[in-house]
Amino acid sequence: MMTEQEWTPKIVAFCCNWCSYGGADTAGMGRFQQPASVRIIKVMCSGRIDPLHVFNAFLEGADAVLVTGCHLGDCHYVNGNEKTEVRHQFLEEMVQQLGLEPERLYLNWISASEGEKFANFVNDVTEKVKKLGPSPLKPEGVR
Amino acid sequence: MVEVGDMLVGYATDEDIRSRGASGGLVTAVLAAALEKGLVENVVVMKHINEFEAVPIITDDVKEVLASIGSLHSVPVNLAKYAVGRKVAMPAKPCDAQAVIEQAKRGMIDLDNTYIVGLNCGGSMHPVTTKKMLVEMYDIDPEDVVGEDIKKGKLVFKTKNGEEKALRIDELEEAGFGRRESCRFCTLKIPLNADLACGNWGVIGDLSGSATFCQVMNGKGVKLLENAIKAGRIEVQPASDKAIAIREKVNNVMVDLGNTLEKKILPVIPDEERLQYYIDQLADCVNCGACKEVCPVCACGEDSKCTTFHSLVDNYKMSMYHMVRMLHLADSCISCGQCSDVCPSDIPITLLKSRFAIPSQRKRNYHPGIDLDTPPFFEVMLK
Repeated sequence: MMTEQEWTPKIVAFCCNWCSYGGADTAGMGRFQQPASVRIIKVMCSGRIDPLHVFNAFLEGADAVLVTGCHLGDCHYVNGNEKTEVRHQFLEEMVQQLGLEPERLYLNWISASEGEKFANFVNDVTEKVKKLGPSPLKPEGVR
Repeated sequence: MVEVGDMLVGYATDEDIRSRGASGGLVTAVLAAALEKGLVENVVVMKHINEFEAVPIITDDVKEVLASIGSLHSVPVNLAKYAVGRKVAMPAKPCDAQAVIEQAKRGMIDLDNTYIVGLNCGGSMHPVTTKKMLVEMYDIDPEDVVGEDIKKGKLVFKTKNGEEKALRIDELEEAGFGRRESCRFCTLKIPLNADLACGNWGVIGDLSGSATFCQVMNGKGVKLLENAIKAGRIEVQPASDKAIAIREKVNNVMVDLGNTLEKKILPVIPDEERLQYYIDQLADCVNCGACKEVCPVCACGEDSKCTTFHSLVDNYKMSMYHMVRMLHLADSCISCGQCSDVCPSDIPITLLKSRFAIPSQRKRNYHPGIDLDTPPFFEVMLK
């Protein structure tokens, strides 16, 4: 049964408690249509997201990882998202050097009121990843 | 008397030290004087066992320091971690000095208490490969070797019965021997990041072979030299313009060679094959953690992210340990080659790390371990 269905990517989204999780909430409340490909992991601040969380997501079978947080300057913990941005630069280089497609890792700033932006973002990424196919880091036996 | 930026040629006053030293015994004499006069509490030196084996020791005994005289090219140990938490003077290859500075950036070493006597380095060799090379290429029994030297692109071995045999280094490297891979593409040959930059390049005329060229890099270098002169251990004289030019020329040749070899040693792998390349290379990993243990720039200690978040029961395509290490070293890897040397599965781990670190560092025009003005990246960008 399952195998006959169209393959949908598994996308892990890290959302910060104050902005982007609120954004995801707004997307739902505003009834913006979005695919069910995203698994949201809520963290208090995008600065909490260590590169190793991103690696772990990929190694456990995520086809793409989204890191989202408050807009620069709006961080509820002064400069947490700036730290994320620095880490993201290194992460991007690493993903590129590893030979993964750069379309599998995103950093985006989404505020609590930007429900539509969140939905569009998820739609966009899902489309792109569908074209790429399953991640080469996916373990055997994980769909 | 001695000033920062001085280019000097010097040697040990003690005839015994001078004759036994690799080139005038200046470094040994400076280290011994620093210990005698209380400039430092300890000195880190290599205790010789034979031509291919030596152990780093931390000593406060001048005799031990004097006994460690003479250079070894086939004991590539990084000494940086021995300086952690101590007031020491140490001889250092450029990569040792880089590692000391990287440790200092991470608050592990107090640079005010650490005196680094830098040594020019054209590259070092792995003892096991060297022994194999002696048998296969030189036809010499490794036990008979009493000394070795690098002269004009040739590697010279001296045997017990006074014979010398020289072969070109590029030929040896072509055959898979010679210097370690990370040394071949290294471009820091003169330790300009140490307190004193010493070496035999630029020692000419009748002093050739029995004196050391020495550039004073900073205030601590001045202290070291003045202390040794006051103690009557060394004599120095200004270097001639010709000597300075020759040293520069040798350095340029080595750096150019390093740049050319880098393309050979780290060939570009096409995007779609890269992931498989890393997976294949790391497939032999036995998770011993030795590469982290020896890493001279790692300041994490026992409970580090790379080891605690790595589990043997994970059925991952790539090891979490290596992924964290690669990211962690992206801004700090000095390509010293320690990790490849200790790997029990012979994974060329330094080359894998360099593939991540070198592009990252180039992109930001960042040179790890040169000075304290450029802090680690996460700090720089937040200001």
